[in-house]
Amino acid sequence: MKKIIYAILSTNQSHTEISDLVNDIKGILDVDIYTLSFNDISIAVSDFTPSNDITNRELAIDFARVIEALSQHLTLLPVRFGTFIKSDEMVHQLLTNHYDSFFRNLQKVENKCEFGLKVLCDYDTFSKKISAKAAVAEEVQPHEYFSTNTIHTNYLLEKIKKNKLEDTLLKHVEQLIEDISGHLIQINPDSKFKKMVTSNILLDAVFLVKKNKKDEFIQAIGSFKQQHDDLQFLLTGSWPPYSFVDIVIK
Amino acid sequence: MEENVINQSKDITIVEILDRVLNKGVVITGDIVISVAEIDLVYVGLKLLVTSVETMQEKRLTIVKPDQEKK
Repeated sequence: MKKIIYAILSTNQSHTEISDLVNDIKGILDVDIYTLSFNDISIAVSDFTPSNDITNRELAIDFARVIEALSQHLTLLPVRFGTFIKSDEMVHQLLTNHYDSFFRNLQKVENKCEFGLKVLCDYDTFSKKISAKAAVAEEVQPHEYFSTNTIHTNYLLEKIKKNKLEDTLLKHVEQLIEDISGHLIQINPDSKFKKMVTSNILLDAVFLVKKNKKDEFIQAIGSFKQQHDDLQFLLTGSWPPYSFVDIVIK
Repeated sequence: MEENVINQSKDITIVEILDRVLNKGVVITGDIVISVAEIDLVYVGLKLLVTSVETMQEKRLTIVKPDQEKK
């Protein structure tokens, strides 16, 4: 029978306490969860019987529910959905072989939670505004690039204009990151930023925030949002620290 | 505290959940892991969902922008 892995847990409590806590949470498909431990770290798993529709969206959402429930009580590292291992022995082996790496990552996320922030814009309106500010269009003059004006040069000029606009937008996004980081300096969260994910999503950011600073963080994003009414802010959380786990086991 | 700062949309929350459970967290690969073909299908579905965050947000903007309603 396969085992599905949910999370790596920091378990300083006694094994009985951990078992009681985990027993209160049902795994996916309503199967009991149990833990396999080594020193002060455990792995939460449950049995998984293969069937035809074993991996669907609902199951993935249910998996997230389990991680969320565990994270209410324990510091943990979520494991990516769909990680199946053959036996308890192999899970235990995984734990002992990678103990140090699990320990370091658990320390990094202890008493912290994650927030996601997407900054969106209406690309056409926003790019017009930015380009007007930076006078991008005026900067691109045909004679600077070409001696003659043909259909080909027009095409190339459009491309140059587009590239200039993208550069300007990128600079704007970099400034936005600097502004957000400055605004959150008192809260001092760890952060990761992805710039220009799509033309409308200017920024996709994640923050690792101390649990006792959650409200302060939400408030700070709220006030930042008020200063930028030309942008849409999509704040989600709090989440278990999915985006701040740096472990790839091959 | 400004309560409406955190997004409450169920659709967007689901996209965010799926993005996290499928793309983030501890990654375990290699011989130790049993591969499951159906996982790929969940990933395909997710890609469609993630792109729909923009669409969902755009729809909302269309609804709430007063100057657009007048047109």
